[in-house]
Amino acid sequence: MSELKEKLKAQIIEQLNLDYLTVAEINDEAPLFGDEGLGLDSIDALEFIVLLDNHYGIKIDDPAGAREVFHSVNSLAAFIESKGK
Amino acid sequence: MSVLCHSYLGPNGAFVNGQKEFDIDFSDRQYLKVIYENLVIDYPKFHKMDVLSKLLILTEELLHEEIPNDVNLEDDMALLMANRSSSAVVDQKFIDSYTLQNNPSPSLFVYTLPNIAIGELSIRRKWYGENSFFIAEQFDANFFIRQCEGAFRNGNTHVLCAWIEADMRGNEECFLFLVTHSEEENLEQALIDILNTYRNE
Amino acid sequence: MTYGALISPLGKDEEEHFLAFKKNRSGVRLMEGAGFDGKSWCLSAFDTKDKITYDRLLQHTINQVLAKCPVDIHPSKRIAVVLSTTKANVLPDVSSAFDSSRKMIESSFPEGTDVTIVSNACISGVIAINIAADYIRSDKFDAVCVIGIDVLWDFVVYGFQSLFALSDEACRPYDSQRKGINIGEAAGAVWLTNKVPNRFFVEYLGGASSNDANHISGPSRTGEGLYRAVYRAMKRSNISANDIDFISAHGTATLYNDNMESIAFDRLGLSNIPLNSMKGYFGHTLGAAGVIEVVMSMLSMEHGMLFQSLGYNKNGTDAHVNVITENKQMPVNTVLKTASGFGGGNAALLLRSKS
Repeated sequence: MSELKEKLKAQIIEQLNLDYLTVAEINDEAPLFGDEGLGLDSIDALEFIVLLDNHYGIKIDDPAGAREVFHSVNSLAAFIESKGK
Repeated sequence: MSVLCHSYLGPNGAFVNGQKEFDIDFSDRQYLKVIYENLVIDYPKFHKMDVLSKLLILTEELLHEEIPNDVNLEDDMALLMANRSSSAVVDQKFIDSYTLQNNPSPSLFVYTLPNIAIGELSIRRKWYGENSFFIAEQFDANFFIRQCEGAFRNGNTHVLCAWIEADMRGNEECFLFLVTHSEEENLEQALIDILNTYRNE
Repeated sequence: MTYGALISPLGKDEEEHFLAFKKNRSGVRLMEGAGFDGKSWCLSAFDTKDKITYDRLLQHTINQVLAKCPVDIHPSKRIAVVLSTTKANVLPDVSSAFDSSRKMIESSFPEGTDVTIVSNACISGVIAINIAADYIRSDKFDAVCVIGIDVLWDFVVYGFQSLFALSDEACRPYDSQRKGINIGEAAGAVWLTNKVPNRFFVEYLGGASSNDANHISGPSRTGEGLYRAVYRAMKRSNISANDIDFISAHGTATLYNDNMESIAFDRLGLSNIPLNSMKGYFGHTLGAAGVIEVVMSMLSMEHGMLFQSLGYNKNGTDAHVNVITENKQMPVNTVLKTASGFGGGNAALLLRSKS
């Protein structure tokens, strides 16, 4: 799981062009969206959909319904594991 | 018209009103992040911004204490900016996202307009003022003065001006200056002198 | 302010556009495979056989405006051009996107012509006219030409596609079934002067802009920036809500934009003023939009005709908007033009017919 999280963080940094942020600077628990945490928004949610499809073969049809999945690195990792990827 | 205060971020360092605040290691391509940490800004959205927005947010942070703390500014201060290369750096990254990575990136596309930097600054400071972004061949003090005159004729009390450039060769600088309507002075020469000092220090 | 030029898939001058609008003809059509990954979208594009490139379109536009300069252009030396464009010639070389425009204007207009380029997303056209009006008021120029232009780069189509903002149907501004934007390409121009032209003209009353200070790619839910821009423009023009006969609104047919506009207009007491979006005719032409929609508004004023807002059937916004459902003959004296765009920008201007 922790290996998956580290990989996810690197992929998030690349997919979202968070140029100079490092894996160590992203907290597992911190909310990715909103003014706390990484301050991401609905446009960035579109990038998560691409990321999940490209790297894990998971298709998300309803971005709004995926809000809880996108909450944090922890919730994303748990979601990917639950899909058995 | 006069310049109330000014700041600068470029190869020669970070300056406020002509005084150097700190040196910048321009060869370190993470220099914008280093400045962000130096200034102890807590604004996580910063990391996903394009280079123009980052330059503007940082240069304004340097100047912020000098900008009058007047509630009327949220409406009566126009934001007037110009550069040569528009949003070329992020434009190319967006083109790469669909030509090389086969995936047009929405989070890059939303930055492919130069005025987005004005938007990011307006959001951070809750400024609802007038906006305009121009493409010019180089910094031209007279051009800024002409636009400021127009803004004052329309009832604005302050104009926050920026020459904010980031080109494909990695040249980056932001010169920010706040102009007020108050007293007359030879603004053209004053602006040229200020920028020359910053560039040649 | 008087006519300059108008070129779009609907026609090559003002007259052809007036006839197209009179017949409610749209330039929008389904373009098979025009999107990324072979997706099809409804767009408003020039016929490929016309081989329209950005430079050719700009040159055609310049030729039209030079022929219509309202002052004797040669002895003057007091001519300015304000160009409004978002992406200009962004391909193939992003670093020289705006260079050809400046060169072409400088070589086509008399020596000494002043050139300003505005690139402020979708509000560029309205801002450019506001700036031109200020140049006239400064008394530094006898005539100022505003040119708005953008062409359909894959860059732009792919970008809006990545935002899920495009529609594969003709767009439906303010309608309950609206599902997104049709991007378009066009160029238009107007001349401003403080001399009285010997042909139809309208008076520029005032204009303003404002930032939402809310989000870079989504409009404020309360229409804050649009509200402030229109409020300022009305104040500067000394015009009240009751004076306005027609609103040429932005109306991109995205869910959020149109709803935001309805709220702003409601807050301004403008809910009952007849309004259209011309995106159903031209698509959204970005840096050209503000200018070409002002040209069409001038045609509305000259011919006393309000044009139907294409694609509208049933109201689909939180606040009421009085969308024009069929062409209507009536005097059009005072017009409000608005625009909103990426970066949280909003702009407005007011025009009055002289007849």
